[in-house]
Amino acid sequence: MTQVNRVAAAANQHINRNRPLTFIFNGKTYQGYEGDTIASALLANGVDVIGRSFKYSRPRGIITCDSQEPNAIFQVGSTQATTIPNPRATQTELYQGLTASSTNGWPNVDFDLMAGLGKIGGAMMPPGFYYKTFMYPQSLWMSYEKLIRKGAGLGCSPQQPDPDEYDKMHHHCDVMIVGAGPAGLAAALAAAETGARVIISDEQNEFGGHLLCSTQAIDGQLPSLWVKDIVDKLTTMGNVLLLPRSTVFGYYDHNLVGINERRTDHLGEHVTTSSRQRVHKVRAKQVILATGAHERPLVYGNNDVPGCMLANAVSTYINRYGVVPGNELVLMTTNDNAYKTAIDWHQAGRKVVAIVDTRTTSNGELVQQAQALGIKVLFGQGVINVKGSKRVKGVEVAAINAENHSVSSAISHYSCDTVASSGGWSPVIHLSSHTGSRPVWNDDIAGFVPGETVQQQHICGGLSGVYALSNVISDGFKTGSTAAQDAGKGDGSYASILPLINDPQEDPAMALFHIPHSKPTSRAPKQFVDYQNDVTAAGIELANREGFESIEHVKRYTALGFGTDQGKLGNINGMAITAKSLNKTIPETGTTIFRPMYTPTTFGALAGADVKHLFDPARFSAMHKWHLDNGAEFEDVGQWKRPWYFAKTGETMQQALERECLATRNSVGILDASTLGKIDIQGKDAREFLNRIYTNPWSKLAVGKCRYGVMCKEDGMVFDDGVTACLGENRFIMTTTTGGAAGVLQWLELWHQTEWPELEVYFSTVTDHWSTMTISGPNSRKVLEKICDVDVSNDNFRYMDWIEATVAGVKARIFRISFTGELSFEINVQANYGMHTWQAVMAAGQEFDITPYGTETMHILRAEKGFIIVGQDTDGSVTPQDLDMDWVVGKKKEFSFIGKRSWTRFDNKRDDRKQMVGLKPKDPKFVLPEGAQIVFEKDQPIPMTMVGHVTSSYYSACMGYSFALAVVKGGISRKGQSVFLPLSDGTTVEAEICSPVFYDPKGDRQNV
Amino acid sequence: MSNSINMESPLHHAQLDDLVGQSGDGGVILHEAKFLGHLNLRGNSQDPEFLAGIKEVLGVELPLSACSSAKGERAQIMWLAPDEWLIVVASGTEHDVEKKLRLCLKGHFAVSDISGAQTILELSGINVIDLLKKSTGYDLHLDSFPIGKVIGTNFAKAGAHILRLEKNKFQLVVRRSFSDYIWLWIQQGSKEYGLTIT
Repeated sequence: MTQVNRVAAAANQHINRNRPLTFIFNGKTYQGYEGDTIASALLANGVDVIGRSFKYSRPRGIITCDSQEPNAIFQVGSTQATTIPNPRATQTELYQGLTASSTNGWPNVDFDLMAGLGKIGGAMMPPGFYYKTFMYPQSLWMSYEKLIRKGAGLGCSPQQPDPDEYDKMHHHCDVMIVGAGPAGLAAALAAAETGARVIISDEQNEFGGHLLCSTQAIDGQLPSLWVKDIVDKLTTMGNVLLLPRSTVFGYYDHNLVGINERRTDHLGEHVTTSSRQRVHKVRAKQVILATGAHERPLVYGNNDVPGCMLANAVSTYINRYGVVPGNELVLMTTNDNAYKTAIDWHQAGRKVVAIVDTRTTSNGELVQQAQALGIKVLFGQGVINVKGSKRVKGVEVAAINAENHSVSSAISHYSCDTVASSGGWSPVIHLSSHTGSRPVWNDDIAGFVPGETVQQQHICGGLSGVYALSNVISDGFKTGSTAAQDAGKGDGSYASILPLINDPQEDPAMALFHIPHSKPTSRAPKQFVDYQNDVTAAGIELANREGFESIEHVKRYTALGFGTDQGKLGNINGMAITAKSLNKTIPETGTTIFRPMYTPTTFGALAGADVKHLFDPARFSAMHKWHLDNGAEFEDVGQWKRPWYFAKTGETMQQALERECLATRNSVGILDASTLGKIDIQGKDAREFLNRIYTNPWSKLAVGKCRYGVMCKEDGMVFDDGVTACLGENRFIMTTTTGGAAGVLQWLELWHQTEWPELEVYFSTVTDHWSTMTISGPNSRKVLEKICDVDVSNDNFRYMDWIEATVAGVKARIFRISFTGELSFEINVQANYGMHTWQAVMAAGQEFDITPYGTETMHILRAEKGFIIVGQDTDGSVTPQDLDMDWVVGKKKEFSFIGKRSWTRFDNKRDDRKQMVGLKPKDPKFVLPEGAQIVFEKDQPIPMTMVGHVTSSYYSACMGYSFALAVVKGGISRKGQSVFLPLSDGTTVEAEICSPVFYDPKGDRQNV
Repeated sequence: MSNSINMESPLHHAQLDDLVGQSGDGGVILHEAKFLGHLNLRGNSQDPEFLAGIKEVLGVELPLSACSSAKGERAQIMWLAPDEWLIVVASGTEHDVEKKLRLCLKGHFAVSDISGAQTILELSGINVIDLLKKSTGYDLHLDSFPIGKVIGTNFAKAGAHILRLEKNKFQLVVRRSFSDYIWLWIQQGSKEYGLTIT
């Protein structure tokens, strides 16, 4: 196919005809040029139908040239890894080999099964159709939804992982300018000249905004030369960051601006020279919104037939891309400005059939210019209907009476293939409403402008309703210098001189949105308001008649503005129609506001570089390499990667665990315990502080001794535990659970800083400073003796003592504490020596077949002893008393301590609270599932009365039977009784309540 | 067993020494200043005796204003909080310094040896600011982050203290257990600029 609509080159065009590009759309190959969007290239090739509509499956064409586009929303990308759903073809730059297809239109755009549905007519599918028809029976909603979605299509997610990289950057600046049209550029220059730090971003590939499609001379030259001059100046300034292809997707509180920069999307798929997209998070002292205005279409019969376009879009395709999207144009307008489109069309050498002006008269300069070119102008008339299906064939024109919404003459027919319409311009208020600012109606421009804001925000140019170019530029200069001054830079003046611009004198525009038809709206041909969701004027009026009067309700009932375009094109028209049908003004009707994202933003961009191995930090101990080299499987504990078990070749996990457990109980095992939290506590009141934080007393713990402690929150529930050792009269080292370390330190600081600042005590985390290795088992002393310079015999180094010693030539603290119930030594060395010491211990232990074990064996061994793991056996609703650990609660402490008061609450004194017990399954080989619910009576109707659950459950190789820890209502006084566990497979197993201490109940083994 | 004692820095496994000289002129230059003595100090900055004791032992005034640092011949000190500082001393001298501090300081204070807990990564190069902009939300402009300033901040999803040594040179103090994550992050973030290890 050839580019039938491409016209001769002109100086103001922004395509490179020396760089032809081949692309594929819906399986067919086309050619465009560098600088084209997919939309301009398709129009150049004369492609009319680019998709089907959402609900009625009507053929649709390209309407706009910007972010408003409701129809040309494609699936772009050639593979399941690189495909992108729903970019707007009007904003997607062409590259060699680009592959795109329609997202709507199953099975294809030219022959569509669903189209039958649309043709039958609106009466079949009024607004609320889905709600009314598919809501019942509710159980079937999910399957209805699948069918609807398949028929409608909203693009497909990629089925394969995204191969591209994304990242984020943080910025700070004095003045952030959104939009690089004439206002934004002028503002940037004025702000930058004060020395302020300036960032200016624009969603388009080139700066210039509206000037990119304008032919209006600035200083007697093409507007693009003025743009180039300003951009060149800004580029040479060190204090300005220019971000083209960068969409501000959100404006957040405290002047945080989110920008998505598309860095390689315009070059092709999976370009690896840099990240594909980059999110910039800008914290700006002052924000200038210079987002301009969007042209508003008029609402008329069959206004969705391909060939119906926005007037300014037509001008843009002609002037910027050298594409005239048709042969015979009818322009309908409410204002002088749109006459430019007819003039552009005429000057491109194609026929303007007529300008249909809804006003009774106008004598503006552009009107006179058009008339002088011989273009027919019909005043006081409107295009009330369009003929054609896959392309406009002609229009029906009649005199209209806007006051009583009627047609006041006979219908004239005109042949044409393109209808351009303009109902005026709507300021792009989206970003200003992101921060909660309610837009206000401005009668002068018949549009909403940003209202009051609490942000440090400025607006200028089209956004503030200033449209004449000379005013736009001077507003930009003024706003730029004011914003800089507000940021503390400059004195509010600016040096730039306004360029010479002749703005054509324009007569007043008419505030008209909806063109009447000779039939009432409900009987007239479909008049589309929101193209993406197939919302019509009749649908909105029906919603109003059915009682939906609030614009927010109208929106939700009709789906007005619910598409990926957020109703950019149709919302104002929808409000105007609602206002008219309710006999209110537009300000009385109100407006919906917009939320981020301004245009859809990819998940990849939002995730940035925080994916895969960088998704969450992984923390490692100093011995990690050894664990890797020795076959460890790892378990996540908080962010730490801890060895879970060390399987030998051919071993199952269970076999490895049994081997590790037996080796530890019978000889010696070694565990990397470096991840436990360690807090260095110093100060003369350290002891008293511990008394208040822990449940047990610390006043009499002597230097050189260790003690186990339990911490509760104010509600009396256990939240952490660990051993704390007295290092000196005023110094302790506290250990915490691995996952609880950071939380405990904050807890200590919180109570110290807010409740007991009078206590002289300081806390410092030393978790990472120490590498900790625990050797455990009857041979552990023999191993330690080989590499330690201190007598570690039972006489000299008692259970729950700690000593300083040299281990393998390294200064160490050794704690004689035990979590396995075996004779154990916890060796702590400075972490830079961790690997050295570990290897020395392994070498010394070789003759005893020293066995490394992981967290799972640790869990089994401690459970055999009935030692709890906070967070596994407790869940934030368990008191020390529930754990049968009243022994860890101080009875004589002088000052109160955290949790104490709550234990006197009635609920915490109930004797039927869930209490920790041991469970022995009747079948000694059966391992109860953790989490299994417990009942007292086996034969009960469902739902059964549940009285507890299993918290830890294992098979013990040492004891030869399976066992569990559980919480059971009143369990402590039920030892010896049977309970039942109905399992998810329908079976019920029986177990006996017993003491949670299964192994060595007297504790002899750890005391040898 | 061998009699030699091998020290391994937090980034030992990355074998940075082997990478020195392997890559050309990267826009980001990384050097691990390993095995330095790190002491965490807490105390009352209103107490003249405390301040005098520090001066006596370290030969440099304790930096008192927020986010400031001080450097003397024997020690570098970074302000971490109104009552908390990081003292960095030559490798192996941390025990002596700790002892002297305990001897000379009066009143309520705390000193903790954390030499094994962290390492210092020196980042420099013409693109170092770009890398840092990807990693921290702090404003890196010289007006807000002058030379000598030290900040505690998020570095990607880990925490770090960052000290500016020169316009384009920074020290990152990072925790041992997070150092591998930060090493991976630096590699990712500097890919487009090139990374040189020194």
